[in-house]
Amino acid sequence: MDILFGSIVAGVLLGMVIALVALGLTIIFGVMDIVNFAHGEFLMVGMYAGLLSAKATGVDPLLTLPVAAVVGFLLGALCYVGFIKFLLRGPMVAQLLGTFGLMLFLRNLALLIFGSSDRTVHHGIIVGKSFDIGMGIIVPATKLAAAGLSVIAFAAVWLLMNRTKIGKALTATALNAQAARYMGIPTEKMNTLAWGIGGASVTVAGALIVNFWAVNPFMGLLFTMIAFAVVALGGFGSVPGAFFAGLVVGLIMEIPGFWDFFTYTFDWQWMADVPMTSLKYMWIYVAYFVIMVVRPRGLFGWKQ
Amino acid sequence: MEAIRNAFDFSDFPRIDMVVAGAVFFFFLIFPFFPLSSFAMATMIQFFMFSIYGMGWNTIGGYGGQVDLGKAQYVGIGAYTTGVMLIHWDVPFWASMPVGMAIAVMWSFIIGYPLFRLKGHYFAIATIATSLVLKDLFTVWPFVGAARGLEISPIQFTPPDFLHLIFKEDIYYYYVILGFFFTGIVYMNWFRKSRLGYQLRCIKDNEDVARSLGINVHWAKIKTYAIATAFVSMVGSFHVCYIKVIEPVDIMSLDLSILIALMAMLGGAGSLWGPIIGAAVLIPFKSYLKEWLGAAAGLAGIDLILYSVIIMLVSAFEPRGIWGIVEKARRRKRD
Repeated sequence: MDILFGSIVAGVLLGMVIALVALGLTIIFGVMDIVNFAHGEFLMVGMYAGLLSAKATGVDPLLTLPVAAVVGFLLGALCYVGFIKFLLRGPMVAQLLGTFGLMLFLRNLALLIFGSSDRTVHHGIIVGKSFDIGMGIIVPATKLAAAGLSVIAFAAVWLLMNRTKIGKALTATALNAQAARYMGIPTEKMNTLAWGIGGASVTVAGALIVNFWAVNPFMGLLFTMIAFAVVALGGFGSVPGAFFAGLVVGLIMEIPGFWDFFTYTFDWQWMADVPMTSLKYMWIYVAYFVIMVVRPRGLFGWKQ
Repeated sequence: MEAIRNAFDFSDFPRIDMVVAGAVFFFFLIFPFFPLSSFAMATMIQFFMFSIYGMGWNTIGGYGGQVDLGKAQYVGIGAYTTGVMLIHWDVPFWASMPVGMAIAVMWSFIIGYPLFRLKGHYFAIATIATSLVLKDLFTVWPFVGAARGLEISPIQFTPPDFLHLIFKEDIYYYYVILGFFFTGIVYMNWFRKSRLGYQLRCIKDNEDVARSLGINVHWAKIKTYAIATAFVSMVGSFHVCYIKVIEPVDIMSLDLSILIALMAMLGGAGSLWGPIIGAAVLIPFKSYLKEWLGAAAGLAGIDLILYSVIIMLVSAFEPRGIWGIVEKARRRKRD
């Protein structure tokens, strides 16, 4: 039983962070209909930013979130102004391959600068500590803090999108860019802002994830696919959808834990023989495919 | 008979194209007799392999406008079928290649039916997802060697062996793949003038109009997807005999799928010569860049940085590719 509850708790905690990862993608997609393949690489940049600034200044990794946010905002805005703007004029195939080029660029730049080895956080007040919350479930403090701070960041972005004038302008641009332009909304600036917010939210997520996940230049693609699955399930362009879908995908990522639970409960040999831990990430791709085929709009989607 | 004559009829191209193409093909025929390094030879074989991949992608991605980023799974199916049949049951290449094509086409029908209900970005990402699922499954399947993959040992098969396609020198592989290459061009020349080819171009321009003209859009896409799959799987089978080692992370990687699509786009998607031009530019560039910068200077990743900058520049400023530039210049001259 403790395996089952442990997996559920771990999945929900991870899901809260994943929701923040996917938030940037869904904002960018909602505002301008472009799929960013470099999204996982933005996350990687955030992870390196959090890790290195913590190492350089000696402060706790959790305090480097503002640094990561600024880096992400600048990175996103710069990508839009310098590259994506030109990409939007071309056909869809050019957009897909162009952002893929951006992904390769960031990945290999990181490889050139930081090398290919795994890096982890070694210091900090919560690293290595954990809570026993009963029923034999032990929650690492890093994951708990990351989940809590993700929810706060998520709520902040939601408030920005729904309770401020800038957020309303962004939504108007997303709904109908031409009409928004007639209403006097500077849509070009809004696009840049969307990329900035998208970049900032994903790098903040990166700075949170780095507390319990090793970073290397090649880890971006996995998170890009996770973010795609979340956004597909929640609905492309939907902010609350991203949150609930994040929780679901977090639980999907814990399928090996559930599998273990059923293996021990029923004591079936064939279940023990399946190399489930190696197939851990396959379920995300399966989930994406099934969601898209069964319900292409997602749970909360308004874009088709 | 009509179809065969049609396939060899290139007369709708301008004469200058035919002269250039003839000269280039003659050069391909005599290329192995130049005293060149084995590296140049390997690059040339890579070029042929990738131009056939590109031709396959071009049917669905170029003429049909459906951006498919999951071609690597069919490379994998073809390669694994041939590899497994060769190693476990000693089946010759020329028998296992059609079997691999049949399995790949069957798989393409199974996933193509739900896939083509999606459009645009959603379709592209879903093709990636299917490809990655298959890769993960092959990584844990012990029968096909799991994560270590398969290796054809030179002890089991003594070269030269034309039936199993095991040779020591690259020159034999060169002529085999050159034969595939010519067949591919002739087939594509027939395809672009076939009924399905015209249907696809109509679907690319406007799907609703195509449907109102009585074209079964869904079925036309699935059929074309199967054709593309057959092309790709054929070269996958060749790949395992040529490289002799396959690993799932390598042969089914997303990078391979993207490279296939990228080459066709760089050369000019939706034209007969586009994928070939794209491969001719990109493959030598990529392998020599790796040789000079990556391996020699010890700077890991710098070759791929340059390569990605080129991807970004092309997709931002010339998305119709090299052939698009040529056609634009021609149109200007005519007017």
